[in-house]
Amino acid sequence: MEYLDLAKVENEKVNVLIKDKLKESNELVLKNVNSMHNICAGLSGDCQVTIEDSTGLYTGSFLEGPTLRIKGNVGWYAGDDMMSGELIVEKNTGCNIGAYINGGTIVIYGNTGSRVGYGMKGGNIIVCGSAGRWAGVMAMGGDLIILGALGKECGESMYSGKIFTRDPEAESKMGGNVFYDTITAAETEKLDHLFSQYEIAADGKDFHVIRPVLSGRHEYALFKPDLKPELAKKYFVKRG
Amino acid sequence: MADKKQVTIHNAPKATWNKEILSEIDYKATNGKYRIRGCGSPRPMPKFDDLMILPSQLTRMPIDTYREDCETRTVLGARFAKKPLIIETPVMIAGMSYGALSKEAKIALAKATKLVGTVISNGEGGILPEELENSYRQSVQILASRMGFTRRNMEVADMLEVLYGIGAKPGLSGHLMGEKISEEIAEVRKIPIGIDLHSHPRAGDAFGADDMVVKMQQLREMTDWETPIFCKIAAGRVRDDIKIAIKLGFDGIILDGCSAGTGAAPVMATDHLGIPTMPALVAAVRTLEEMGVKEEMSLIVSGGITNGADLAKALAIGADAVAIGTAAMVAMGCRVCMNCQTGKCAFGIGTQDPELRQNLDVDEAAERVANYIKAITAETVLLAKSAGKTKLKNLEREDLRALTLEACAMTGIPLVGSDLVIGKGFGFSADNGL
Repeated sequence: MEYLDLAKVENEKVNVLIKDKLKESNELVLKNVNSMHNICAGLSGDCQVTIEDSTGLYTGSFLEGPTLRIKGNVGWYAGDDMMSGELIVEKNTGCNIGAYINGGTIVIYGNTGSRVGYGMKGGNIIVCGSAGRWAGVMAMGGDLIILGALGKECGESMYSGKIFTRDPEAESKMGGNVFYDTITAAETEKLDHLFSQYEIAADGKDFHVIRPVLSGRHEYALFKPDLKPELAKKYFVKRG
Repeated sequence: MADKKQVTIHNAPKATWNKEILSEIDYKATNGKYRIRGCGSPRPMPKFDDLMILPSQLTRMPIDTYREDCETRTVLGARFAKKPLIIETPVMIAGMSYGALSKEAKIALAKATKLVGTVISNGEGGILPEELENSYRQSVQILASRMGFTRRNMEVADMLEVLYGIGAKPGLSGHLMGEKISEEIAEVRKIPIGIDLHSHPRAGDAFGADDMVVKMQQLREMTDWETPIFCKIAAGRVRDDIKIAIKLGFDGIILDGCSAGTGAAPVMATDHLGIPTMPALVAAVRTLEEMGVKEEMSLIVSGGITNGADLAKALAIGADAVAIGTAAMVAMGCRVCMNCQTGKCAFGIGTQDPELRQNLDVDEAAERVANYIKAITAETVLLAKSAGKTKLKNLEREDLRALTLEACAMTGIPLVGSDLVIGKGFGFSADNGL
């Protein structure tokens, strides 16, 4: 295992340095990352990188193959456009985690902000804590698993993919063009396998699934002006 | 006394209540919703025809139209990219998606680029493998929807376009009606078959310019600083948007005026959003000059380019190249019926119907598009040589004069005859004694 102290390394040079170090060993620990952006962006191959503190924006974006573990918190857009591998966050994250992810698995042991899995196209995202609003918005594939409370408008306008939830109020937090459904045996099995793999104390049987409506035409709550003449009556002033 | 007879006036001109307006109102009254239309806006807009090119006479020598060279080769995106894009003519094929266009049309356009040595942009929804296989140079768009986009797309790109908007419907996301989402389109885009698609309105991986600064660093690392990275913006607040694009570190800008086309858009959007191509281009050039990056940053302009005169005038104003969309479709056979959104294009261009698609002969269409690009390049060369230029890029705004007061005021280019400049001069003296 190799170590790399990034305390005095310029942000632009970090990823080159990481790639060079990984030629010596496929296990690397990064110290003093100090919330730098773009850490491990585009990293590929069979390797394991552990970050001992927190990271900034775009952590592990376009990741393809490696296992990247962050012991601290993670900024916005981590794992965007990820292809494969693992991105494991031990604490909390900012918003838009796993945007456009194509494959691989993101595990967040804490909470995450809004729009987790924005436009995701494949892979798995597991959020052990709560998620902000618009989770899985306009997703085009993949599985988003949220163990804690959902935010509002969950799954709005999903085209494909699934959101697994055990939030008892999930139905009232869903966005448009999705429906609340029971989980299948195969899905339960997949969830249990993932929970076991990442040592998450949960039971797949407790989950429901938010699925996209696949009819030809989406309906948008705010698309048409919602004109309510009855409600407007209170503004009526009698002329005279 | 005779009864008064009611007089009926036939065929009185109706400025406001013309046939189009009545038809619009009928549609809305019947359906309770707004209309969607293909192609773009039919509204008359200020255009390059409002400018004239000054020929060389005693002040400078003309270049022989038939016997002397005029260089058309164009280098794009050399600001920071280690491998800028080099094309043989300053005419590129604009981003039109596989979905809006048939597979045959996309392949024909790609083949045309190989015949003339230029670049094609893939448009929304991933790259059709046959397009990539047949194109001379491939530009890949990074859109807010990111449909069909993966790391693999970036690796094959000769040029990247981070797309913020298109001129025909700026501020709106892509529309692809369910009729056009066939099994093949669904596979490339990774979406269900037959669903009406209103794609993502803004990027999920950069909410604003501050984040985009960091995102640019990411894209540069992903491309090893080799591939030119452009941003495509619709013409709106051009001055401010261009300044941000410069600050973000793009290699170039594709500026799409509101005269641009699209496969489907709300009529209100195409008719009333954005500003026309010509004044937008002037605003962009002014800004690049103000910021001191005109020489290093490439500028491609699109929206309503029809012939070599448009190209020559755009280059003279300060563009490095133009992108053509509708014109290339017309070269393939499109008659601009403006019903692309229905997916029933009889020419096999804007359709996914297997039978209609057979109406397009790919090789013939490719040749026609290539011929058209060659012809407008030749037209531009003719005009440039007449103005005394041995390189297209040497066309300059001093070669232009405005035909109308409006064009003069919009561009800062002097009015023909009087050399009057209205408003802010565009490198010309505005000393009109006014």
